Amino acid sequence: MSPAAVLIGYAVLVGFLVPQFLVRSSWPHRAPALAVAAWHALTVSFALTVALTAYHLAAPDEHLHAGLVGLLHSCGLASDANSTNLDSADGLSLAAPVALMVLLLGAFTFVLGRARWARSKHRRVLDMVGRRSKRLRATVVAHSLPAAYCLPGRCPRVVVSQGALELLSAQQLDAVLEHERAHIAGRHHVAMAAAQAFANVFRRLPLARHAQEQTALLLEMIADDRALRCHSREALATAMYEMAATKAPEGAFAAGGPSALLRLQRVLTPKAGPHPALWGSLAAVAVTVPLIPFLVACSPGVG
Amino acid sequence: MRRLGDLEAEIMDRLWTWKRPATVREIVDDINLQRDVAYTTVMTVANILHSKGWLLREKSGRAWAYLPVRSREAYSAALMEDALGTSEDRPAALAHFVEHMSDDEVSALRKALRAAGRRTSA
Repeated sequence: MSPAAVLIGYAVLVGFLVPQFLVRSSWPHRAPALAVAAWHALTVSFALTVALTAYHLAAPDEHLHAGLVGLLHSCGLASDANSTNLDSADGLSLAAPVALMVLLLGAFTFVLGRARWARSKHRRVLDMVGRRSKRLRATVVAHSLPAAYCLPGRCPRVVVSQGALELLSAQQLDAVLEHERAHIAGRHHVAMAAAQAFANVFRRLPLARHAQEQTALLLEMIADDRALRCHSREALATAMYEMAATKAPEGAFAAGGPSALLRLQRVLTPKAGPHPALWGSLAAVAVTVPLIPFLVACSPGVG
Repeated sequence: MRRLGDLEAEIMDRLWTWKRPATVREIVDDINLQRDVAYTTVMTVANILHSKGWLLREKSGRAWAYLPVRSREAYSAALMEDALGTSEDRPAALAHFVEHMSDDEVSALRKALRAAGRRTSA
């Protein structure tokens, strides 16, 4: 089999089959941080596979290792000792993989930049309109609809509405604020932007759709876990219910999906994390997955 | 050292609370009850707010009287709409505690809470 055929097979596996399997597994909700890493490892692995496949289709006779060096070289990762060996044919076959990497990095930068722009626009108004509460370490907006959110990144802000202050008890409010601070401290917006950028480039790919949805949900679970370190399960769960149950005016506001129910059940019925051995092997797989495209294309008998 | 933005917010805060046009002198006198601030500084910042589109102004004798373009409530409502709305930027830009939900989903949440309550009390 040609390396390209093997790589295409692997791309189908990672892009279509593994996501179905991972969405149905139970461990991600018990180890959400590891699961976020796994989803991102899969997206990196898929992107590399597509890049290598493009390379092999453009230069079917080239031996892979020359191509690998070329790839690494073009990313500035390898020393330029081999640079003299790169002739114009190499340059041509490298065009597609390099273009893909540039596209992905460009999409990532674009999503991050646009989100930062949206936040700073929002923050300018917020700083004028909201009242800073030193006690809550949050900005309070005079609005009757209960809401709590954060603006991560530079000059982060935790925001609560007056409606949320009136609705929630002191314990509930503290748990909610801790949840929001966890998003900021964990720089969750970067992971979210990466998943969104991948989804923008590979539209309709099951991996991209699932990675984006699951990353959003898993990041909420990570923040829930952080809040539970110093707040009771009851406070967080009832706060979640109270906030979700208030009627929002039609139209202007986005409706939530089933994620709140999943999170609520998870907060109410704690399950132990995966066994250390399972955790370790999952982590090892997550680290290895991005390298698999190279291994697949390099293995003896291929190439 | 206070930032320019803090003084902007202080000025807007007063004008929103007073709900009437006010001159720079009135604003300075009110801020001076709490801390010292120079007349020229407040005048400069009020000018900036005017050019940024936050304040309207009209002649009041020889001075300008300033008033907010929109009420605090109007800005708050727009802010919440921006935060909770369906914009494409939102998922990467900011993270919510929880989204508002449909009746079916709310009743599913309530059931889950009740079930947990029974378990812990049993």
